[in-house]
Amino acid sequence: MSNDLHNIIRCRDVTARYGRVTALDGVSVDIPCGSLTAVAGPNGAGKSTLLKAILGWLRLTRGEIRIGDSHPQHVLPRLAYLPQRQTIDWDFPITVREVVEQGRYPSLGLGRRLRPSDHERIERALEELALVPLAARQIRMLSGGQQQRVFLARALAQGADIFLLDEPFNGLDRFATEELTHILLGWKAQGRTVVAAIHDIELARRHFEMGVLLATHLVAAGPVADALSEANLETAFLGSHCAHGGDISLVRTARFPS
Amino acid sequence: MSVSEFLIAPFRYDFMQRGLLTAVLLGISGGLLGCVLVLRRLSLMGDALAHSLLPGIAAAYLLFGPSLPALFTGALFAGLLTALGSALLSRLTRVKEDAAFGALFVVLFGAGVALINLARTRLNILEFLFGNVLAVSSSDIALTAATTAVTVLVFVVGYRHIVLETFDPVFYRATGGRGGLVHLGLLTLVVLNLVASLQTMGIVLSLGLFLLPAVSAYLWSDHLRSLLAISSGIAVLCAVAGILISYHAGFPSGASIVLCLGFVFFFSAVASPRHGLLSKLRGGGDKI
Repeated sequence: MSNDLHNIIRCRDVTARYGRVTALDGVSVDIPCGSLTAVAGPNGAGKSTLLKAILGWLRLTRGEIRIGDSHPQHVLPRLAYLPQRQTIDWDFPITVREVVEQGRYPSLGLGRRLRPSDHERIERALEELALVPLAARQIRMLSGGQQQRVFLARALAQGADIFLLDEPFNGLDRFATEELTHILLGWKAQGRTVVAAIHDIELARRHFEMGVLLATHLVAAGPVADALSEANLETAFLGSHCAHGGDISLVRTARFPS
Repeated sequence: MSVSEFLIAPFRYDFMQRGLLTAVLLGISGGLLGCVLVLRRLSLMGDALAHSLLPGIAAAYLLFGPSLPALFTGALFAGLLTALGSALLSRLTRVKEDAAFGALFVVLFGAGVALINLARTRLNILEFLFGNVLAVSSSDIALTAATTAVTVLVFVVGYRHIVLETFDPVFYRATGGRGGLVHLGLLTLVVLNLVASLQTMGIVLSLGLFLLPAVSAYLWSDHLRSLLAISSGIAVLCAVAGILISYHAGFPSGASIVLCLGFVFFFSAVASPRHGLLSKLRGGGDKI
C-alpha cells in the first residue's frame, strides 16, 4: 500500500466495451506521480479509451480507476485533457488569450466574470509558454507548434496537475516536436504528471520516461526501454489479441478478379 | 420623391411602425443565433428546420384557425419533431444526422403543402412562404419581443457555455459541461426565432435573416464578440431597408430583406480586407 502513495493514477482490471467490441480488457497499471508516460500500441489498442476512462467519461464494464485518493468525478478539475489538433476549427473567431481563458471557465458560475485571480493564472500560463506576444492573435495565424502551446497553456490555466494528451505530436514538424518535448520535460521537473497517447513508437522511446504498451489488454508497463522492447512490440502488434480479432484474417476480405 | 419621403413617410402608418419594430427585434436575435449556426456548421440544418415547420403551422391553422398561440405550438412541435427525430434516427440506424435531417424535412414540408391545399381557405400560401410584414399584429410583436428577450438573455448568461461547446465540445465535456443540453437549447432557440420571424420573413426565407448577416460578419471579424455585434447590426439595418423596399416596391417583405442581406453578403465576400476574394487574388490573404 505504501507504494500507492506515489502512484497518482491507479487502474485495476479496467475493462471497457463499445457495444460488442472490447476496447480495454482487464488493464491494471499504475502511473507514478510526476512521471512522463507514453501510452503506446497499435490502432484500436485502446490508447484513447484509456485516457477517456481516466477522465471518467466511460462507464467501465469492470474494474476501477483511482486518481489521487478519490474517484475521477471528484477531481475532474485537476485533470486537463488536450484534444487532437484535427478536432479544432482553426478559423474560429477566437484569440489566443480567449482560448487560454477557457481554462478558467469551469471554475466560474453561470454568467460570472473572470476574477483577478483568474486573470493572474491566465497571464502566468501565457508567460510560461511564451505566448504573451501572440495573445491577441486569431488562432489560425500561428504555427503548428504555437497552436499546440495555446492548448497546453489552457491546460495550465486550469490549474491541473495531471495532463492527458491525445497524440500531441501529430502534425508537428521536427522543431515543434523538440519544443513540445522540452516543455513536457520542464513540466515533469515541476512535478506535473503527463500521460500521452502516442502511436509513434520511436518518439515514445526517445522522449518519454515511462511506457504503457496496450493491445486492448496490457502488454507491458514500466521504464520506456523495457516496456517498449522489441519482444513486447512483437506481442502487441502481431499478437492474436489485436483489436480486429484473431490472426491475419484479412486475406478473405477482398476478392480480386483474375 | 425626396429622401425623407422615402425613409420617414412610410412609418407614419401604424402597420409600418409595427413592422419596423418586429424587424429590428428579429434582426437582433437572428444575428446572434446565426453566428452560432455558422460556427457550429449547422447552416443547412437550420434551413431544413425552417422548412419543416410548415405542417405544424398548417395543422394548427386547420384545427384552431389563425390563433397565434396555436400556430406557435404547432410550429414548435414540428420543429422539435424534426430535430429530435433526426437525432434519434442517426443514433439508432445507420443513417447519418445530415441525411436524416434532409429526409425528414422534405417529408414534413410536403405534408405541409398538402395540408394547406386541403384547407382550401383564404389561407394565403404565398404569405406563409415569403412573409408579409405589413400584416404584423400586436400579438406578433409581443411574441417577437419575448423571443428576442429570451435569446439575448440566453446569450448573456450562457455565453461561455455556448462558446466552449461550439469551439471544443470535447473539452467542454471534460470539464463537466452538458454538451447535449447546450445543443438542444440552441435548437429550441432556433425554432422559437423561426416561428417569431414567420410573419415577417415567411418559412422559406426566414433562415436568411439568421444566416446571411452571420456569414457576412464572419468575413469581417476575427473576434467572437465583434462578430455577434456586426452580425446583429447587419441584420437590423437590412431588415429596415428591406421593409422600406417592400413598402415602396410591393415585394413580399421576406424577399426584399433577404435581397438586401444578400447584397451585403456578396459585397463582403468580394471586398473583405482579410478573408474576401480580392484579398486572396492580391495574395494578401491569411490562408494559403
